Amino acid sequence: MKKTHILTLVISLACWLVCIAYLTPFLWMIATSFKPIGEWATPELIPKEPTFKNYYEVLITGGIYGVRGHFPPIGRYLMNSLIVSICTSLITSILGAMTAYAILRYRAGGSMFANWILSLRMIPAVAILYPLVVLTRTLGLYNTLGGLILVYPLVTFPITTWFMIGALKSVPKETEEAAMLDGCSEWQVFYKIVLPQASGGLATAAIFAFLFSWAEFLIPLLLAPGEAAMPLTVFAAYFSNQYGILWGPLAAAGVIISIPVITLAAAIQKYLIRGLTMGFVR
Amino acid sequence: MRRGVLALILPALTLLLLLTIYPTIYLYMMMFQSFNPLIDFAPKFTGLDNFVTFANDPEAWYAIGIMFLLTTITVPVAVGLGILLAIIFTSRYLQGKILIRSLMLIPMSIPAVIVGLNWKMIFFTYGPLNAFLQSIGLPPQPWLSAPLGDPFKVIFVLAILDIWQWTPFVMLAVASGIESVPSDIREAASLDGASGWSVLRHITLPMAKTVIMVIALLRLIDSLRIFDIIYMLTFGGPGNITTTLPFYIYKVGFTLTAAKANIGYAALLSVILLAMAITLVLMTLMRLFKVERIIWG
Repeated sequence: MKKTHILTLVISLACWLVCIAYLTPFLWMIATSFKPIGEWATPELIPKEPTFKNYYEVLITGGIYGVRGHFPPIGRYLMNSLIVSICTSLITSILGAMTAYAILRYRAGGSMFANWILSLRMIPAVAILYPLVVLTRTLGLYNTLGGLILVYPLVTFPITTWFMIGALKSVPKETEEAAMLDGCSEWQVFYKIVLPQASGGLATAAIFAFLFSWAEFLIPLLLAPGEAAMPLTVFAAYFSNQYGILWGPLAAAGVIISIPVITLAAAIQKYLIRGLTMGFVR
Repeated sequence: MRRGVLALILPALTLLLLLTIYPTIYLYMMMFQSFNPLIDFAPKFTGLDNFVTFANDPEAWYAIGIMFLLTTITVPVAVGLGILLAIIFTSRYLQGKILIRSLMLIPMSIPAVIVGLNWKMIFFTYGPLNAFLQSIGLPPQPWLSAPLGDPFKVIFVLAILDIWQWTPFVMLAVASGIESVPSDIREAASLDGASGWSVLRHITLPMAKTVIMVIALLRLIDSLRIFDIIYMLTFGGPGNITTTLPFYIYKVGFTLTAAKANIGYAALLSVILLAMAITLVLMTLMRLFKVERIIWG
């Protein structure tokens, strides 16, 4: 009995120390977001004179820091990121569910099609972005939110489809077959019978697509370099430029950008690994 | 195929074909042309000139080499460290297992750009890390230009970021691999007198082997795409020391700041990068990742 107590104490303590040490860089950024200008570059994890000034500037007033540059308030970029991420997430989770259902029940396209979708997840985006710049210019969607919503599925669709394949597996076939006999078409069976039963999986897939859209940097850097459609990830580069680093506001912006995705990732924690490994690890 | 089924996949298929076939054709046509928007009015056909340029471009070969160097540092370290953490974090003596795992999700949920900016502050010459080093009596380092006197070591600084962000992913995946080994197998072995270590070595880890392989391959393929942290931390510098192939494509084809800046040449480099990624996927991952069994099995 005694040995178990000691083991519990030693192992728990070790694990928690590892965990805290591991998260120190992020904890330091949170601390810095509350530091006044005099403490910015210090290693302390607790601000001596905590302040909300950084958040106030990032969220509401914007800021001007002499030669180090100026930055506008975050609102419009937050809005851009929200619109693009929500639209992408809705579109790709629904398209992903439809495709997943056709693959799972009807073997649509055979294993080739499923493999092809899987391999899209592995493509280095930088390699095909120049043609996509040309494409969006041709369609008049360069530098618009619409252009980003058009291109983001390249990143999110493989994840949502493969996740939905796993989620739809647990929907029983029998009700579908009964509905088919009653004369429903494949499409009617899908949206009247399958989708309601897989709503939890669909919500999780939507969150996955949201996480990936929110974090996307390279695509908007090249497809939406202007102010009109610039999302948060590209905006964040404002705080670190050739004149130096705006420590406090940068840290505050980093925290603001990270909090929504950390929360969402925690909400789908149970499925996160399954989604990221395309269903290989359950 | 039945019409109803076709209707289910048609919207997605149209969108994906537009987003992949068009770029592919464009790249194949562009790689035989020369076009630098800063100099030329229009692209002109130059045959195999870009291939000759590539063969004689030490920067491109360096970029490929440095991309694989970064991979050979990050993947083994992240996988090894991840397995180690998975072993201690699945211990039945650990209190607060669920909470600790949610906390370990944080690095991989943060957008890579923010990870890059976060560590850029930490590694800044007059930043917290050097201040900390000085306070314990160690010399400060110019981390982002030449740590320990050798600019080449900046690669390791970049590797640290990627390892920091993705080790928890390996840890969580391997942990679920370990936990999928039925506990009665493990218990039976320990009743037979096997020590905890040999149960781990001879039963648990071999059974989690495929999971570990797939995770390592996913990391390998993902690490060919590292871009955001290079953009934020070093912008390919100092000089071109951290210019990996994806970043070189960015400099040649987008910012047009490389000596060989040319959209046709960037197209050729893109085709090369795509070929490498696809070869890796087909030769390694697809062997383990049995689509037939995962979907319809």
